[in-house]
Amino acid sequence: MPASIKNITQYIPQSAKVEWHDTTAVFEVAPSDIQKIANDFYHEKHLPLKMITATDERKEHGCFKIWYVFGVPKENIFLVPFIVLKNTETFPSLATTIHEAANHERKIQTFFGLTPKGHPDTRPIILHENWPIDVFPLRKDFDGNPPREAHGQYNFQKVDGEGIYEIPVGPIHAGIIEPGHFRFSVAGEEIMLLEARLGFVHKGSEKLFERLSLTDQVRLSEKISGDSSFSHSLAFCQAVEQLAGIHVSEHTRFLRVIYAELERLANHCGDIAFIMLDTGFNFGGSQGTRLREMVMRVNERLTGSRFLRGVNGVGGITKDIHATESDGLSRELIVLRKDFSEIIAIAENSSSLRNRLEDTGILSSDIAKDCGVVGVAGRAIGMVNDARVDYPYAAYTTLHIGDVATEKKGDAQARFRVRVKEVHASIALIVDALRQLPEERVTQPVKEVTLKKNAVAVSIVEGWRGDIVYFVATDAHGAITRVAPRDPSFLNWSAVGHAGVGNMVPDFPLINKSFNLSYSGNDL
Amino acid sequence: MTPILWIIQSIFVPAVSPLVIGVIKKIKARFQNRQGASVLQPYRDLWKLFHKDEVVSRDASWIFRVAPFIVFAITLVVGASIPLVTLFLGNTYTSDIVVIIYTMAIGTFFLALAGMDVGGAFGGFGSSREMTVSALAEGGFIFSLLTLALVSGTTNIFSIAATIADLHITLLLPLGFAFAGFFIVLLAETARFPFDNPATHLELTMIHEAMLLEYSGKRLALMEWASANKLLIFIALASNLFFPWGIAQTLSLSALALGISVFLGKILIFCFVIAVIESSIAKLRFFRLPDVLIVSFVLSAIAISLIQ
Repeated sequence: MPASIKNITQYIPQSAKVEWHDTTAVFEVAPSDIQKIANDFYHEKHLPLKMITATDERKEHGCFKIWYVFGVPKENIFLVPFIVLKNTETFPSLATTIHEAANHERKIQTFFGLTPKGHPDTRPIILHENWPIDVFPLRKDFDGNPPREAHGQYNFQKVDGEGIYEIPVGPIHAGIIEPGHFRFSVAGEEIMLLEARLGFVHKGSEKLFERLSLTDQVRLSEKISGDSSFSHSLAFCQAVEQLAGIHVSEHTRFLRVIYAELERLANHCGDIAFIMLDTGFNFGGSQGTRLREMVMRVNERLTGSRFLRGVNGVGGITKDIHATESDGLSRELIVLRKDFSEIIAIAENSSSLRNRLEDTGILSSDIAKDCGVVGVAGRAIGMVNDARVDYPYAAYTTLHIGDVATEKKGDAQARFRVRVKEVHASIALIVDALRQLPEERVTQPVKEVTLKKNAVAVSIVEGWRGDIVYFVATDAHGAITRVAPRDPSFLNWSAVGHAGVGNMVPDFPLINKSFNLSYSGNDL
Repeated sequence: MTPILWIIQSIFVPAVSPLVIGVIKKIKARFQNRQGASVLQPYRDLWKLFHKDEVVSRDASWIFRVAPFIVFAITLVVGASIPLVTLFLGNTYTSDIVVIIYTMAIGTFFLALAGMDVGGAFGGFGSSREMTVSALAEGGFIFSLLTLALVSGTTNIFSIAATIADLHITLLLPLGFAFAGFFIVLLAETARFPFDNPATHLELTMIHEAMLLEYSGKRLALMEWASANKLLIFIALASNLFFPWGIAQTLSLSALALGISVFLGKILIFCFVIAVIESSIAKLRFFRLPDVLIVSFVLSAIAISLIQ
């Protein structure tokens, strides 16, 4: 039980029977009370809602459970009230008072067949019209075989008015990007409404988690969103380590920070490059991709994988950084920082580039809060959220992170500049971590673990897009029965549509790129 | 000798235009620290496309099928009617600035129709944007060439080039303004920066490419070739009307050799300038484009007012 428990008790209703799993406080709430408690947490105590997910425990306990994961920033604690659905398949919806709950609840409806009562939007999410509406893939009695093909209908939101017309874009695009469908309602060139339809890369990852061995589960978590392989596997491993009661060595914790920051560095360089490329600023585009390639090659040299796959494991890490390598790496990063600063100086001096980025795709702070926007997009509006600071993990507990990089305006330029700041911060962090890296032998991951029985664990990692949350639950035998990953993209996708409204169509690719969300991480 | 010259005059534009595209791409690649494809790559691409099968939408009408031939044929006719390496191959039918401007407009017209024909969302987008840019560019196009016509007292393009070649120095100022206006039109009409990004893969931002999205195989090859021709035609107009020096005025072998090499040199300079522009600035927002085109018109109008 954490030391700061006194601070926490103020949040929890007196009558609740709290069960502590490491830093996660779990307590049952009557379905009729959940709206009151959730609203109290969210609106009164300003606790961020991290995830809502469900588990199918009909075989063991004859019920479904719905888990509401709230974080307590700075205390590094998660409050997880849950409701038990016995003999019913409906649960009270929070969507009318907590907007960001809407998509979580739609997902539960689509995948578990539990109806959120009072939800304003009952269309399925992620699964498409070819999926029968009465087959629920995350129920335990679904065998994983593809069901018969259905022919449902999906109704896009409609805009009426003179001169309004719709443009369907995607899911196949002219460039090599992930598939997603965008439905624009436009008047001339101005976007009136933008609805994103995703789910084209749904792979059944959550179902697959239920069937794989632990080592394969780690590998699967690396594929949830391929560009965040390390952060996703780190979040999953940390959750399992909580359940197994494993405390990883100091050495591993530092290595995890170094690899996680290398991943951030590579992707931010790539994003910065592609934002510039999408405006047609070819100089910045080619130089930024060059820097990204430099980092990817460092990754390959250190670990054998450009995307840092196969590095993380439960209880340890497979690839060490030797003292001989760490000096060279520090020097390389200093060179990279110098190049990066020069490129950014040229970019900031280009009035044509600034003209394209300024005021493009402004996300208002009210909408961002309602959608629960996290990560770079949130920090670009001045929301100070960073899991490395709010819920310190690995060696972020001891390293000096500095201020959370924020901007105010919430336009494409703000998102661009947040990334620029984070590149500098990442380089400083890696150099710092390399210096402090304890001299000891690397701890290899464990092969076999015994997990706590009937327990849940919540783990959070600040990926380069935003915070990645994993919810892992075990059954009475200590076997993992449910893994629910939540990529930041799942939340931020709902904001992209709002950021597009009022802009003109040719600017949308740039707006989309300034968010650069994962389709795979959203579709799972 | 003259029949050979006529053959050169007729095939010069289609023969050299893919090279122009290749050279611009090569220079851009070098600016980006890349090796870049060979300057001959556009020829290989055309060859490849001519050997591919086509997919034509069920909804396509005859316009979609015929447009590539019309658009390509127009660039052939115009390409043969403008001064390239010599000054004495003009005719009185097609070598007139008004004829040239509006023959090219027919090409744009059919291109835009073809873009809308299959009913795809992007084609309509491309056509609408192309017509917006094209309509706004027309003012600068006509007025910049009109400056030359007024200065030389003729609308025949070969006579204009001949007059400008031995022109008095006091006319440099209006010519300078007219050239600035014309250069903006050149960038707009040939879908280059800051109007359009010929290298983009983002279908929502495209202008010219959006109209071609439905084309494949041989017809796509014709369309690509035609737009390369158009670029070379504009470069030829810009270099031989505003800077006609070096062009062959007599039927001697040495004059012709000089004419060809000077013309290739001028093309190279224009390729370099276009590549520099495309490497150093970002594309403009779509709604800023009218401003630039108005500037082109104003520059040309100033040029006319400066003629004594």
